[in-house]
Amino acid sequence: MIKKIVLFLGLALIVSCSTSDDSPSGGTTDDFDRAALLTNLADNIIIPSYQDFGPKLSTLKGAIESFVATPNQSTLNTARTNWLTAYKAWQHVEMFNIGKAEALNQYYYFMNIYPVTVSDIETGVNTGSYDLNSSNYHDAQGFPALDYLLYGVASDDAGILSKYASDANAQGYKDYLTAVIDQMDSLTQQVITDWTTVYRNQFVNSTQNTATSSLNKFVNDYIFYYEKGLRANKFGIPAGVFSTAPLPEKVEAYYNQEVSKALSLEALNAVQNVFNGKAFNSSATGASFKTYLEHLNTNRGGQNLSTIINDQFNLARTKIEGLNSSFSQQVTADNSKMTDTYDVLQMAVVYLKVDMVQAFNISVDYVDADGD
Amino acid sequence: MRKILLGIAITSTLFTSCSNDDDSNNQNTQVEAPLTYQFARGGNSTVNFEGQTTRIQMAMAFSSALNDNTKTAADLQGMFSHMEGENNFSDAELNASGKNIRSKVAASKDYFSANTTVSNDIKNLMDSWIEQQATTVFVNKDVTATTGTAGKLQQAGGGSIRYVNAKGLELNQAISKTLIGALMTDQMLNNYLSTSVLDEGSNIDNNNKDVVENGKPYTTMEHKWDEAYGYLYGNEDNPESPVLDADSFLNTYLNQVDADPDFAGTASAVYDALKLGRAAIVAKNYDVRDAQVAIIRENISLVIAVRAVHYLQGGKEELAAGDTARAFHELSEGLGFINSLQFTRQPNTDAPYFTHEEVTGFMAKLMESNGFWDVTPETLDSMSAAIAAKFGFTVAAAAD
Repeated sequence: MIKKIVLFLGLALIVSCSTSDDSPSGGTTDDFDRAALLTNLADNIIIPSYQDFGPKLSTLKGAIESFVATPNQSTLNTARTNWLTAYKAWQHVEMFNIGKAEALNQYYYFMNIYPVTVSDIETGVNTGSYDLNSSNYHDAQGFPALDYLLYGVASDDAGILSKYASDANAQGYKDYLTAVIDQMDSLTQQVITDWTTVYRNQFVNSTQNTATSSLNKFVNDYIFYYEKGLRANKFGIPAGVFSTAPLPEKVEAYYNQEVSKALSLEALNAVQNVFNGKAFNSSATGASFKTYLEHLNTNRGGQNLSTIINDQFNLARTKIEGLNSSFSQQVTADNSKMTDTYDVLQMAVVYLKVDMVQAFNISVDYVDADGD
Repeated sequence: MRKILLGIAITSTLFTSCSNDDDSNNQNTQVEAPLTYQFARGGNSTVNFEGQTTRIQMAMAFSSALNDNTKTAADLQGMFSHMEGENNFSDAELNASGKNIRSKVAASKDYFSANTTVSNDIKNLMDSWIEQQATTVFVNKDVTATTGTAGKLQQAGGGSIRYVNAKGLELNQAISKTLIGALMTDQMLNNYLSTSVLDEGSNIDNNNKDVVENGKPYTTMEHKWDEAYGYLYGNEDNPESPVLDADSFLNTYLNQVDADPDFAGTASAVYDALKLGRAAIVAKNYDVRDAQVAIIRENISLVIAVRAVHYLQGGKEELAAGDTARAFHELSEGLGFINSLQFTRQPNTDAPYFTHEEVTGFMAKLMESNGFWDVTPETLDSMSAAIAAKFGFTVAAAAD
């Protein structure tokens, strides 16, 4: 026993002397062209993603206006179709919480906080008194509020239509629905305008490695989104990873009941496309986290880190594809498939948040707040 | 043992100073452990682990309730997964706490952050044991247990009465001994002493620059280390100078293993390593720190293995002596310690000594068909031998 300890410590000491530093293998000096990476991100991914999302949101706004003017099954269906189209496009921009999006006190707080607090919406409908700019209403607006207002205010379509047509509060519902889409549209236009006027150059030219440089912030936002927006919100929270029991009512698009899987696949594709520097509008690829890691020759256990990360994303996609299209039904029917998917997503957190950031020499500016 | 460890500690500081090309500030600092676990900054103690103390106390109250046949399954589950403000305990402070036991079961960062499916399996097994204790064992409190029937069994010579399920398993023992691994050991070895937690985010940089947490006297890294300390010594009257036997969990079983002459020195090895490692954090010497982590992992893991083998052998002897109640009691403790083996940590690896699948296989073997009512001495011996061999001690050393 004692001999074993001594032997083991001896080995540990030898090892500790032979390591030169604790960075991942490679050790090439970092002469990677960060400006090229930032340019590819801005010009081929971020701005095109917003330019796809913006018009889809405007189309949704028009559809909601038509529904509000003439609430019937046809206008409701059109509004719902455009809601889903815009919601899918949103999955490609939620991670870009930088520039104007950040300056708006977190644009995504106004776009996709779920689950919604139904009582806040219903009280707002009843009283006409609400403030969508207040943080109290972050969970009473955006796509999740539209989800409730278009799918959840009554148990069937006839009931939903009557809320907007004949209900005593019909005007209140119309006003609230209009206020929500107007807020979303207005904020989105501000973000897009900022990118296409001043922020693009600012973003691309900030090539240093400081806590406030573009890439440092972007990498942090990217990993934060992956960990929180994708992994936790879409999978971990409903699967009960952070609670005593599963919470099937906390899935994205809960009232629609059919698209939580489709939205999460969009989100995963968006994450992987950014990682690989794949242009939004074509299959072309450019400077990216992937090429940066390859430039640094970053390995993990003898394998390219960029390959490991892509493999993990692909495995996650396979897992997600095997789930029920409604995650709340999946959680209720067989939660272990949901946690199994979560586990695969979580594996990539380590690769991104430990290995990748070490290779880039970037500090993570947030930590899990889960201690005693 | 003690002398050798001290020698190692000194040697390790000498050796590690040769790796002086890293970015720590004071890599040549000689790390000296204080006499007791006492650390201060600007006159204020930097040691704090009240969350750990709370969870140990919850676990103790829960563990006694598992023997109280007036409790319902909901009462017991309420204590296990307490929610802030609910009156699950008789202690108002515990009731007011937002912490609970269950959320930290099989919840370490290293083992379970990407393994929630297995974590759920482990918690679900505990949930089902808790449920059964009320719904099958408590209701049969006046029935004498026989093969296939839950009930009571009295130890020979007018001894303690044990309450077992239909397979002879004392569920309260299985649960309590599982907590030693799933709560204390897992949190200590695989969470708070892990580099993934100690070095998370900017912890190294902040510790190097003595940047303390907002409104607190300690750096994050110091605090994480103390939280590991708290899972072992958090219920001591004077935790800086532990005397052991201060709870019914890891603290007590460290003492019992240490009391066996074959394993004498285990307790001081752990305490000394925790002190030196904490001092190393203050001195910003992470090589010395990590060498202490290895010592702690090896010795705490050893405690679980020794007790597992000890109880399997004790059970075997009592079965031979014909004291069924005492035998089942020991085997039940053994089963809990076996379940705990999946939370051990082989130093300098990411792996336990026995995996979840392996311990699940051991438990299934013990519980197959009529469970303890027809378990054979051969089964107990081969399982004991497998565990002892993996850790490098003999079955005989652990048996006494």
